[in-house]
Amino acid sequence: MGVLAVLWEKWREFRRDFYKITLAAVITPLMYLIVFGLGIQTTSHGEPYLNFLIPGIVALSTMTGSFGAVAQNMSVQRLYEKALDQVMVSPTPLWQFILGQVIGGSLRGMYAGCMILLITFPVRTGLIFNGASFFIMFLNGAVFSTLALVLSFLAKSYTDAPRFTAYIITPMSFLCNTFFSTESMPAGIRQFIAALPLSQTSGMIRSISAGEYYSGFGYLILFAYLAAFSLISVLFIYKKKNL
Amino acid sequence: MIEIKQLTKKYGDFTAVDHLDLTIKTGEFFGLLGPNGAGKTTTISMLSTVLLPTSGEILIDGNKLDRKASAEKRKFSVITQEYSMRQDMTMDEVMEYQGRLYYMKKKEIREKSDELLAFTGLIDYRHRVVRHLSGGMKRKLMICRALMTDPEILLLDEPTAGMDAISRRQMWNLLRQLHSRNITILLTTHYIDEAQSLCDRVALIDHGKLDTVDAPQTLIDHLGAFAVDITTEERLVSKYFATKRDAIDYLSGSDEDMTMRNTTLEDVFVERIGRRIDQK
Repeated sequence: MGVLAVLWEKWREFRRDFYKITLAAVITPLMYLIVFGLGIQTTSHGEPYLNFLIPGIVALSTMTGSFGAVAQNMSVQRLYEKALDQVMVSPTPLWQFILGQVIGGSLRGMYAGCMILLITFPVRTGLIFNGASFFIMFLNGAVFSTLALVLSFLAKSYTDAPRFTAYIITPMSFLCNTFFSTESMPAGIRQFIAALPLSQTSGMIRSISAGEYYSGFGYLILFAYLAAFSLISVLFIYKKKNL
Repeated sequence: MIEIKQLTKKYGDFTAVDHLDLTIKTGEFFGLLGPNGAGKTTTISMLSTVLLPTSGEILIDGNKLDRKASAEKRKFSVITQEYSMRQDMTMDEVMEYQGRLYYMKKKEIREKSDELLAFTGLIDYRHRVVRHLSGGMKRKLMICRALMTDPEILLLDEPTAGMDAISRRQMWNLLRQLHSRNITILLTTHYIDEAQSLCDRVALIDHGKLDTVDAPQTLIDHLGAFAVDITTEERLVSKYFATKRDAIDYLSGSDEDMTMRNTTLEDVFVERIGRRIDQK
């Protein structure tokens, strides 16, 4: 299976850069936790703010972890190293290459999210993280891995990857139900933000962690994004004239 | 057999390859020659499916080549002009990744990798990361990677670019050995002597269009097997003659500074392509 070849390549990269990847995954979220969670002591909906923040940071970490792993890697492979040529010319079906990238990216996102859970474990918050939480983390990682693939195919130079992060990932990090509830936002903006994948991921993980009911509508939105971005990635890799 | 039919690649208004028709027979060593920007690398990139043609098609043993054609892609390997490899992989990892992409078994990958790295003298550096290799070593590694999968067709885009004279000769010998195993080879090169020495047939292309295609010796004979170089203060002018007798007669009838030699494929290239560039 070509998927396994891609996953092997991702595993090799993870093993080699283990410390760098781990540090990169935890430093920024850790700062958010320290500054907003411990430094500015406050409450949200009658609960310690940290309880609101941790699920958001977990969702955020899965997004940045998976997006970064795929966007950086693919942009460099396609535009700088030209190593994507090795895959293009091989008999490995290209949809398997896409699938391998998505699974590999999602696992990297999961790893980043799990690191946050590990770090915050000593803080006895009473938050619940179960199988559904991990599935949502994986799904969120898959959405942002496919988005990273789409943007990597659109990139004209390998320096575009950080720009995409600045234009898309950073605004989502702050706006999408991560640091504050969007309930008080003006109508229109609130609906727009709610339709973004990170908002749904944060919301669902937060509801699960508080033991509250959540609607399955969030899954639908995440699957819709995943289907759309996957389709575009596959179309690009098969049909784009100049890869 | 590779059949290229009316292959065209356009970038906006610029036409890189213009209705190119070529047939490369099984087991043939075929050279694609042309000046810079003639469309050689674009043609190779379309053969490797990294670029898709604007129009026209490529057939491999009668089957259309596109990005979905796994069975056809299984038949060939490409050595690109650039070092198209993960720079953070070791040589062993580059070979293993290639093997995995071609569904080779782990034992087979190991054996083949050992054999090829030993053959090219790279075995002692197998744990070295690609970005720390010299240009020549990277080039050799690309050859190892290409041969890893026992290809039936080998596409070589400027394989000796940047190599010293000894390495070039080693590469020529390696290519001859591969050719003797009935591998179909398509070579693009700037070194015309390389094409003359190695290729069964060559195609000259210019501005993406096919100028001529034939065996090197046939093209040379057509121009004249003997050349007389006349050196003036401003330039070197060559005249071509079908027989040695004709060339000697021309030499003896003039008191200019002249030398006689055998015509080469480079003369054909300069006469057919260079003259057109001069006129422009």
